[in-house]
Amino acid sequence: MLLLQLLVNGLVTGCALAVVSFSFSLVYSTTRVFHVVHAGLYTLAGYGAWSLERAGIPAWWGLVVLPLVCAGLGALVQLWLYAPLEQRRATHLVMLIASLGLLAVVQNAIAAVYTPNILQFTDPWRARTVALGGVVLTAVQVATVVLSLVVFGLTLLLTRRTLLGKRIRAVASNPFLAEITRLRPGRTYVAVMALASALVAVPGVLVGMDLGLQPYGGTTVLLTGTVAVIAGGIGSLGGAFLLSVIITVLQNLSLLVMPGQWSVGITFLVFVLFMLLRPRGLFARAG
Amino acid sequence: MDYFYSYATLAAIYVVLGLSTNLLVGIVGIFSVSQAAIFGVGAYVTGYCLVNEVVGFVPAMLLSALACLLVNVVVTLPALRVSGDYFVVTSFGIQLLATAVFTNWTGATGGASGLPGVPPASLLGTELVEAWQNLALALGLMALCCLLFHLLLRSPYGRLLRAVREDELAVAASGKGVLRAKVGAAALAGVFGGVGGSLYAVFLSFVDPSSFDLNGSVLLLTMVVVGGARTLLGSVIGPFLLLALPQVLTMVEIPTTAAAAARQGLYGALLIAFMVFRPQGLAGEKL
Repeated sequence: MLLLQLLVNGLVTGCALAVVSFSFSLVYSTTRVFHVVHAGLYTLAGYGAWSLERAGIPAWWGLVVLPLVCAGLGALVQLWLYAPLEQRRATHLVMLIASLGLLAVVQNAIAAVYTPNILQFTDPWRARTVALGGVVLTAVQVATVVLSLVVFGLTLLLTRRTLLGKRIRAVASNPFLAEITRLRPGRTYVAVMALASALVAVPGVLVGMDLGLQPYGGTTVLLTGTVAVIAGGIGSLGGAFLLSVIITVLQNLSLLVMPGQWSVGITFLVFVLFMLLRPRGLFARAG
Repeated sequence: MDYFYSYATLAAIYVVLGLSTNLLVGIVGIFSVSQAAIFGVGAYVTGYCLVNEVVGFVPAMLLSALACLLVNVVVTLPALRVSGDYFVVTSFGIQLLATAVFTNWTGATGGASGLPGVPPASLLGTELVEAWQNLALALGLMALCCLLFHLLLRSPYGRLLRAVREDELAVAASGKGVLRAKVGAAALAGVFGGVGGSLYAVFLSFVDPSSFDLNGSVLLLTMVVVGGARTLLGSVIGPFLLLALPQVLTMVEIPTTAAAAARQGLYGALLIAFMVFRPQGLAGEKL
């Protein structure tokens, strides 16, 4: 039974991580910026929902408000930081250092305002449990799985079936050609950043409700997510989703044989070996 | 006066560490965000040897340098297989793995509470207990490392390293070993990291994981970027300037709980500002 419970916990965490990783993949494969600020927005969404709850507004409202707020912030990051840098033909390294700097600003601003200690939500709704064939899930965990699958489905629809999706893919595959055919890559980048930031707010709020909030917690989550993106093959949203679930399930199952504090370390150890042996990922698309 | 001594000693130690980061990130172009982990290995090796009275100070420092040389070569190995953002993720992963090891390998590192009571440095049988003696030791080693770095930059080998950064293919085509150049640079950066870490351990007489986390790596990166990457002068200016900043912050009224976060956030803001307005830093070359 413990095995089954760990498996289910892994699936739940995996769904939340999957949203982080495929939204990162969307940004990375389109704008080519290694957007580490994503982790900051993820954390910020959780704290935003916590503040809403403090103000007497039911916490699930956060799931409506915070994606909108984060979408705005994501668009601003693109407009005010990445776009000017790109205009100056900044190298990858410069963009990444700027992004790291902004992440440090966001995380430390959160730590300065909310203290670096762990914060917990108090809404009784989040602790309500559902028993499914001997496995106990909280309401938040059920919501995490359902909403993650829903936003994943919507994102797939958006990127495959709509005009914006076509633009995104066009800009991602050849920014120069997109520019001369007046597709305006700059605007598409803003749209992608807004979309990805709205997406990352969803697990940000839900995981915060489930496990509590910490200012610097987002970094590990994002990096595990990027491991999933790379291992799943860059540009493949489905690969990122699948690999996220596989990674967290394996992390949870590893609790059977070793103490929990090692699981993150082992994940990255496996990743480094992966990089040495099969750097192209499992599901990379050709070209 | 004591305050000035400890400031100058710490800055001198960070200059040595900055040289290590500058060599990898600035000169060879291997974007490592795990230099704090290397620094940590150096500090822990010296701390462990001195606390448990395995060997004296000078052999302990040599052991630190050797350990960091090996560790740095091993962690830089993925850079030979993968480049750009893939290596960034790997490097982040190495940093998180190192933090996990420092915090959880309680037998050797003392876990989260660290290794207290590292005895002061001793040279030729005399213990360096006075503040000026520590400063002299740190400045001496700093001068030695700077001289080494300067000679390296002027040597044909230094030109080879810079060529590797600009165009690996051209280097390989002209019959030079890219692999050997990178491994050599990683080894030397490791030695600098080990020496710096070793000095840090005996100077603070206390080693704990919080100095060697991701924030530590970002601090080292900020020092190099603000001072100016790719030059010796930049690596010297950066640490002296950035370590003076917290003193400026103490003049502003901030609650002590938020002070650490405010300092880290300020470093982040500096990173952004320099990337946007002056990517070459105060005395560096264009990134």
